Amino acid sequence: MSYLDSKIPPVREHRHPETSLAHGSRWRGGHAAGACPIASRADRSFTQGSICPLLPALGIMLSLPDTVVLMHGSVGCGSCAAGNNVNVRGGLSSRGAPVDDVVWLSTALDEMNVINGGDARLREALVECDRVYRPKVILAVSGCLPGVIGDDIDAAAAAVRDEVKARILPVHCEGFKSRFMATAYDVVYHAVGRHLMPDPASVGPRDPRRVNVMNVGSMGLADERELARLAEALGLEANFFPVFADPDSFARAAEAALSISVCPTHDDYFLTHLEESYGVPHVIRHMPIGIANSGRWLRDLGDAVGRAAEAGKIAEKEEGLLRDALEPFLPAFRGRRAFVSAGEYRSLATASLLQELGFEVCGIRSFHFDSYAEVELEKLSRARECSGQGTAGRRAGGAGRGSAAQGGDGDGFVFNVANVQPFEEANLLRRLKPDVFLGHMHGNSTAARMGIPCQVIYNSGYGYLGYRGAYDLARRLHRKMANPGFYRRLGQFGKLPYRESWYGEDPFSRIRGGEEDGS
Amino acid sequence: MRSAYLERPRWSCALEGALAAAGSMPGVVPVLHAGPGCAGNFAWTANGASGLQVTGQCLGLSVPATNLQENEVVFGGTDRLREELLETARIMEGDTLFVLTGCLPEVIGDDARSLADELSTPERPVLFASVPGFSGDSYAGYGEVLKSIAADGVRRLRTKRDLANVWGVPPGLDPFWRGNLEGIRGLLALLGIRANLLFGPASDPKALRRAGAAAANIVVSGLYGAEAAGIFRDLHGIPSVPAPLPYGAAASERFLKAAGRAFGLPPSRMRRAIQTAGRAHYAALEPAVDLLNDMESQRHAAVIGDANHAPALSAFISEELGWVPELTVIVNDLDARGREALEGYWEATGTPRPANLVYASDRRSILEAARGVWPEAPQEGYRDPKRPAIVLGSSLDRALASAIGAGHLSVSYPVANRLVLTRGYTGYRGGLALTEDLVSACIGGR
Repeated sequence: MSYLDSKIPPVREHRHPETSLAHGSRWRGGHAAGACPIASRADRSFTQGSICPLLPALGIMLSLPDTVVLMHGSVGCGSCAAGNNVNVRGGLSSRGAPVDDVVWLSTALDEMNVINGGDARLREALVECDRVYRPKVILAVSGCLPGVIGDDIDAAAAAVRDEVKARILPVHCEGFKSRFMATAYDVVYHAVGRHLMPDPASVGPRDPRRVNVMNVGSMGLADERELARLAEALGLEANFFPVFADPDSFARAAEAALSISVCPTHDDYFLTHLEESYGVPHVIRHMPIGIANSGRWLRDLGDAVGRAAEAGKIAEKEEGLLRDALEPFLPAFRGRRAFVSAGEYRSLATASLLQELGFEVCGIRSFHFDSYAEVELEKLSRARECSGQGTAGRRAGGAGRGSAAQGGDGDGFVFNVANVQPFEEANLLRRLKPDVFLGHMHGNSTAARMGIPCQVIYNSGYGYLGYRGAYDLARRLHRKMANPGFYRRLGQFGKLPYRESWYGEDPFSRIRGGEEDGS
Repeated sequence: MRSAYLERPRWSCALEGALAAAGSMPGVVPVLHAGPGCAGNFAWTANGASGLQVTGQCLGLSVPATNLQENEVVFGGTDRLREELLETARIMEGDTLFVLTGCLPEVIGDDARSLADELSTPERPVLFASVPGFSGDSYAGYGEVLKSIAADGVRRLRTKRDLANVWGVPPGLDPFWRGNLEGIRGLLALLGIRANLLFGPASDPKALRRAGAAAANIVVSGLYGAEAAGIFRDLHGIPSVPAPLPYGAAASERFLKAAGRAFGLPPSRMRRAIQTAGRAHYAALEPAVDLLNDMESQRHAAVIGDANHAPALSAFISEELGWVPELTVIVNDLDARGREALEGYWEATGTPRPANLVYASDRRSILEAARGVWPEAPQEGYRDPKRPAIVLGSSLDRALASAIGAGHLSVSYPVANRLVLTRGYTGYRGGLALTEDLVSACIGGR
């Protein structure tokens, strides 16, 4: 039975039980992957605010044209749409579409609803917003509150289905049900798979040129253009979805010859569904970030469509062009210490790119960790050995707690898994003193206030993927490092909210569980 | 009756308003006892709404939070909260912890208040506010934080005759809150009154304690902070003084009179201050009078904002600039009692009642109200088109501006398209800043 047969999608805890949010250790080159000291039950005795699945899910949902996002919860749940709106306006503008505010609504549950239930209010809202906005799709999104008061968004949607012209997609985003924001992708694609995809029997003929590429909320048009260019070089047409895709166009994915993932942790739920239900095979291995990874991605694509040799030639040529273009930047990067923090896969792939640019990667933080990322860690360790940066040897200091990271020894990197948790980051940065910090959007202010030049990664609209993305990131990094004045000044006077004594403690001292628990 | 949904709500929930307030108090560390995404949600909200102000000292994703999961929802979350509070005290810098409870613990019945009381010591007070999202909007959350301060955070101290607390400017929700509080401080200083500000860089860790020594609570809002001021009056005997949100010179004059009266100053003192400040103000404005007049800078305006801003802006453009407020929209979801309280406040503070006042917050209702002034049909013959026009509202009102062919400036929440740091519109200087911004918005193509 497929996951999509049930109303409620599984959370990552169940689907990928190895997934973890807490881990910290010193890592040296030569470590063999597969023995990652990661445990899903690892947790912290002190935590800072985080991100629940609702937030990335909104990033996808709010970008869909002709769609209304109806939040079922308290009025604050999903108020971040005000921020998503900024990204969507930028995305529309770059795509040449008319720029307008997204439509987000809230049932704004109150005390009476908590006591009496909010189902009736949701049903009424569904009917009313269908009449007012005449959308193609209404996403009925459940926050935490319906989950604890026992509202049934699927039943409410079913009850009004005959009265509502739009397709209603119930989306389960109860924040307390999963610690992994990556669950966001699954809940959205669960809804899409159940309600926007055609009956497998009615799918048209396969288009041998079409290759599915799932775009992620933080990926902009620049990245899409680069991947489309690479696909085109192989005679393929990239079908990007779901971000900014018309709800009616999702069915096109079922008629593709192939799907290729750009982010395994993001794509696996839906690409598996496409393969199982529609027979669209998929490749899910590498993220096209950095020189080698872009080559691997392109070669995988070529392989899958029987044009391996061609793909190899294109990759070689692209790589040559890129290396020449990067040449002027490299002296400024050589031997400089970089720290990177982002989503699981992307932080690791970006670290590989940084190594390719000549940086010494001294620290990596991932929002979570699961089996997909092991291969990336392995690549990093191997690259360190090849480049002579790392000393081959075993991982030092054991796992998790008690393995305090000391900076400056230049023979390894700290790997820290954390759903943001800037207190650990501040402690690490004080020890490691990197020359530059690369953080996911909304993850840079700690480093910035410590005076470390920061380069944002994965803020939609800028290029990160493929060869041109690598060039673009290098170009921006070079510009950033050429004049770190803003950060230097900030660091002299900036202040973080931690006690001075905290910096003397082991950065991973608040992690409990770990290896022992996970075995 | 409540409509079944709110469209693009121009506020977040009580927890958000409470966090923005508690997190803006120097020396105070807010601790969220809530679901795992609330802090991130508020940070992203601020990204699109508070003039690019997201992080702050203990805001954004730095705020200690219990990030409740299914396990706590089933078995209760107070153990987790206890641990979090003890750890917070070890790791985070600050003298006061402020526990804020969100939807989950309030539904499952965690007794966070008792825990806060238990862990509270004179050296490290632990304050508490119950602010689940379903209890109200961000404004309510700001109010709850003030009420907790009034009831539990403050001891009555010997009155300092020249000290005033200032309530009614909610951090974040008023993107101009820092500058607005500074402007109010400047006005009070003209009368020799010291403003005790609890929020933002103008404050200090002792401000919370000092609040118990104030001679009066000045409330510059008809709604927000009034309840807390009532508690201050009842518990500590500190009187509450309603005063206008002093946008520009005319409102500043009313503010100075109200504050001076409350502090028992002779009217001549206020008259002198008003004369001196007024002269300086118009001396600053004078160099632009030539062009302000000759380029016909007078505008017809639609003013859209919350119950604090819309009336203040409407009064400002009318009294100070001589513009024509054609429509004023208050976006808050106010019942009859709230609207009555607002009317009473305008009356008490001498704030002109906004022209053509409408309560609405969804795009369609606001456009409908605007169409009453600026009809869609082409104007033929001798009919006053009420142009040139400008919309003073939020970033969400850009669509309205283009629909009615008006200019636009984001001056009320949400402000996505301006950087706001120290800018404020209160006081005389604030009035000049607002004049600069408004006129600049009209002449961008010059």
